[in-house]
Amino acid sequence: MSAPMRDAAPARLPSERFRLELGGIGALTLLGLALVAVGPLLLDRYSVNILIRSFLYGSIAVTVDILWGFTGVLSFGQSAFFAIGAYACGLAFSHLDFTPLVAVAALGGGVVVAGLVAALIAWLAFGTGVSPLYISVVTLVLSIVFVQVIYAGGDFTGSSSGLSGFDTFDLSNEAWFRIAGVALVLVTLLGWIFVRSDAGRLLVSIRENEQRCRYFGISTSWVKGALLVVSAVVAALAGYAYAAYTDVVAPDLGDFQFGTMLVIWVALGGRGTLIGPAIIAVLIDFVSAWLSGSLPFVWQLVVGAVFIVVIVIMPQGLGPALAGLVRRLLPRVSRIQPTAARLAEAPTYDIETHMQMGHAPAAVEITGVARSYGSLHVLEDISFTGRRGELVSLVGPNGAGKTTLIRCISDGQERTRGRIAIQGREVGRMPPERCVRLGLGRKFQTPNVFDALTVAESLRVSRSRLERLSPWRRADEIHLPEAAMQVARATGLVAQLGTTVRHLSHGAKQALELAMVLAMEPSVLLLDEPTAGLTKPERTLIGGILVDLVAKHGLCILLIEHDLEFVREISSRIIVLHQGRIVLDGSVEEVVTSELVRTIYTGEPQAIGEPAAAGPGSDG
Amino acid sequence: MTDLLLDILTTAGILFVVAVGLLIVFGVLKIINFAHGGFLTLGGYAALIVTELNWSPWLAAPVALVIGLLLGAAVERLIVRPLYSRPLDAILATWGLSIVVVQLITIGFGRSTQFVLSPVQGAVPLLGTSYSLYRLIMLIVALVLGGLIGVVMQGTRLGLAARAVIMNETLAQSLGINSELVRFATFSVGAGIATVAGALITPLLSIDPLMGLPWLLNAFMLVMVSGTSLISLAAASLVLGGAQVVVSTYSSPVLGALTIVVLAAVLLRIRPAGFARA
Repeated sequence: MSAPMRDAAPARLPSERFRLELGGIGALTLLGLALVAVGPLLLDRYSVNILIRSFLYGSIAVTVDILWGFTGVLSFGQSAFFAIGAYACGLAFSHLDFTPLVAVAALGGGVVVAGLVAALIAWLAFGTGVSPLYISVVTLVLSIVFVQVIYAGGDFTGSSSGLSGFDTFDLSNEAWFRIAGVALVLVTLLGWIFVRSDAGRLLVSIRENEQRCRYFGISTSWVKGALLVVSAVVAALAGYAYAAYTDVVAPDLGDFQFGTMLVIWVALGGRGTLIGPAIIAVLIDFVSAWLSGSLPFVWQLVVGAVFIVVIVIMPQGLGPALAGLVRRLLPRVSRIQPTAARLAEAPTYDIETHMQMGHAPAAVEITGVARSYGSLHVLEDISFTGRRGELVSLVGPNGAGKTTLIRCISDGQERTRGRIAIQGREVGRMPPERCVRLGLGRKFQTPNVFDALTVAESLRVSRSRLERLSPWRRADEIHLPEAAMQVARATGLVAQLGTTVRHLSHGAKQALELAMVLAMEPSVLLLDEPTAGLTKPERTLIGGILVDLVAKHGLCILLIEHDLEFVREISSRIIVLHQGRIVLDGSVEEVVTSELVRTIYTGEPQAIGEPAAAGPGSDG
Repeated sequence: MTDLLLDILTTAGILFVVAVGLLIVFGVLKIINFAHGGFLTLGGYAALIVTELNWSPWLAAPVALVIGLLLGAAVERLIVRPLYSRPLDAILATWGLSIVVVQLITIGFGRSTQFVLSPVQGAVPLLGTSYSLYRLIMLIVALVLGGLIGVVMQGTRLGLAARAVIMNETLAQSLGINSELVRFATFSVGAGIATVAGALITPLLSIDPLMGLPWLLNAFMLVMVSGTSLISLAAASLVLGGAQVVVSTYSSPVLGALTIVVLAAVLLRIRPAGFARA
């Protein structure tokens, strides 16, 4: 893959693919609407009754799939939001007269309460340093608390028997059937458009690698929180409709078992397919209701057993498994053509225009930074300044604290003491996503990429701070700054834009991450062994690009490298770290000739940069 | 006051016995066994069968143990082993198993609430008050069980292998430890402890097919705040169980039922390591 200067392989454009798929989902939507329209005419009264409820459950299953299947947020408490909407309706109509005003106020109240509770849950679960499992724990607790609150409410909430027989909307079953059916079709359609859009790929990238997203300046907590709130609102609306239609609310609407059942439906239908969960939810609930008279427990038993079998042998769910089977039985239809956006040059990216010569603050200013783990001091009293147009290499033996220093610069929570300013602005205790917005870009030591995305999609996500991702469209062009484009061309990524990152070689992943970081147009670039795993010609090329970025665009680059020959060729300055302290900070010449450095670095006097001494290693 | 203190201690003991099976499975297999509640229920019904056969109530726990060990072994082979690399799916699959267990019990025994005989009756004088003998026995069972697991973990080859798997499974495997066997044995024993716990708690309360659920939720939260340490679990049972007793006594049982899960959730938010050393 050494520099085949081919341009993009013939791939279908995202908008074309999107339109094609939209045609398919459009046809399904029309079919769904037609079924909803004729359903009440063909089905018996009992089936119509049941399907109204099943459709509402289907809508919540879609929200669970967006949260879990796409974004990786496993919530056991979606039932609680449903029940909040239901109780808003039940409580209002039980205790107040049924008037249009009360109906609207109850709807608004239910939605607002559900939204606020979801915001509280998001604040608890998506804060910095909170375990990713916490959302599942806290939503489980939410469902338990909800049920106990209803129990504690006595006559007001109807306690364990719930509320029933309140005045409600005077609508026919046929009307409810159409409301619930159209709602399900619409929720699925809108959800589908959203997850297929450019913004929808961001959800997958959060699921795949949240850390990388945050280092692209994306506030993942905010994205996940917003999704949770919207899902809660949809569930509350469904709950309101449920209560208004059935004229009954009971605590088990919000309990942990129902919350888990929703998750099971999604797993059975196929996570990340939206349509699978919607269909399975409707199907299982409908059949359950039919069989609940004749074989109530046996049916639950069958659902449980099928679920175990599906999870164990068909992890992707029934929907995708069936689709795969159909695809295999059909004669080979046209192979799926890869889809990828075109690359285009971004408008010139030149930080020199932002800086007034002489008065501009230093790119990075580090004063007295230390990092300790208990009594272990990994970094002590680190102070230096990185200016624009400098390529500063950090060298030192394994365990010298190089990677820790990079971590301290890019995450305000990391350091124990000291101050760090980027472009004259204090980092304070900012989380990575906010440090990045000061102009930082960080490339990790091992390739930190999105396995499930294609190369083009990855680049698009990395640019999301600069080019807003549309929630209903897929753009055909990704604008990359010159440097990112050069990396993509030089390493052959342009020919692999439609390839899923999982299938790339180690070297290509390294190159992709570097290209993604450069695509953010950072002013200060932190690179942790950016060329490990690349071939010699590729390293030389990347070295040239880095030198270019510094010389032409005035970036400040901090580089960790073990290949000292490479360091000597491209650095304008070298800082030597040893046992957590800076032992030397000087020009390439000074460091190369330093007796002290040779002793530290190699254990014996030897010229730095001699090919024999240039052994690549890994830093812990 | 003495009564309250004894309530706290015995409640902690009961919670420890109920949660410890879940803890060792979580420690070694790194999966949360949501069928734990189903296993507890099964243990309760084992005690019911013993009562109905007019056997001595002392036989309830051994019978439950045998059922749990065998069932755990089968479940590990069929359901849990294929899901080692997918811990989240393992939670869901074991929850599915729990549904199956509950439905089977419902089909076999009906949905009604039932009671079993207690092996001991009445209260004994202690520290100037008289206190339920059975609850005191539960406290002793907790201490013995905790001690026994501790001794196995610290003093036997199996325990050594289990500790190696807990710390670093890949390394343990490369040292020739059969981690599959360790997992198999642990899950089976964990299930056995769960059914025994289910049999032991039944004299204190009634039996119904859903009896395991509240216990599962409390045990799950206790394990979340304890990590993989027996001592942390003991501390968590004492502190959170104690809080539950205090809230139930002085406020309302409804709030008491929430105490453990809410406090554990708050604790995990403030200190993700919970009672374990960070």
